[in-house]
Amino acid sequence: MSAALPILGDHEQSTIRDAFAALERDVAVTLELGPSAAPVTLLAAGGRELDTNAATRAIVEAVCALGRLQQAGTTSAGDRPRDSHEGIVRLAVLEHEEAGPWPRTTIAGPTGVGLLYLGMPAGYELATLVGAIIEAGRAEPGLSVATLDRVTELDRDVAIDVFVTPT
Amino acid sequence: MLLATRLALASPRITARGIEASEFAVEAERHGVRAVPAIVVDGRYAWAGSVPEAVFVERLLGAA
Repeated sequence: MSAALPILGDHEQSTIRDAFAALERDVAVTLELGPSAAPVTLLAAGGRELDTNAATRAIVEAVCALGRLQQAGTTSAGDRPRDSHEGIVRLAVLEHEEAGPWPRTTIAGPTGVGLLYLGMPAGYELATLVGAIIEAGRAEPGLSVATLDRVTELDRDVAIDVFVTPT
Repeated sequence: MLLATRLALASPRITARGIEASEFAVEAERHGVRAVPAIVVDGRYAWAGSVPEAVFVERLLGAA
């Protein structure tokens, strides 16, 4: 993720800007950075070692800047935005000293947290970051009535982990 | 991933995490992830691959 290369092309920026302009509710994005609990070495194209914290920060900031962005002060991930209809993207960055599952990006709407993403949302996973912001900013859930009926019946907690790769 | 996010937003009972498997290789290995997207429900490997919404919900509730 070289500083010399743009993170998003002109077409991507335009598409994301249009999508974020249509947000119906505020969205809170919290980016947590820090030393990894289980360090791995990732190499960018060209064989350079990748600083996933720095790369993730650059991606998340570039994406959020395409919305009506406000830098937010927060002390914990998952803080919900106020339930306004301005469609503001509130970005907070927390830097941890202790090792943990960083980088971690939390995306929340007024109804709660939609997604915790562990790792760098690059490549195909850029769409995951953008999509989660769009979903959190919807006034109505993007699910069928049948699905909403099923999840309303849930009487226990369910944790979904989706393992992905950027390519 | 989008479906999991939508479900988490729709229900306070559901949480959704996306995990980049190469950065969190130990966790991926622990769950036996061999292909992506891989779905793990309540800490147990459930299935791999994208499926339609109705199938996702049926599998999710069946696995939970």
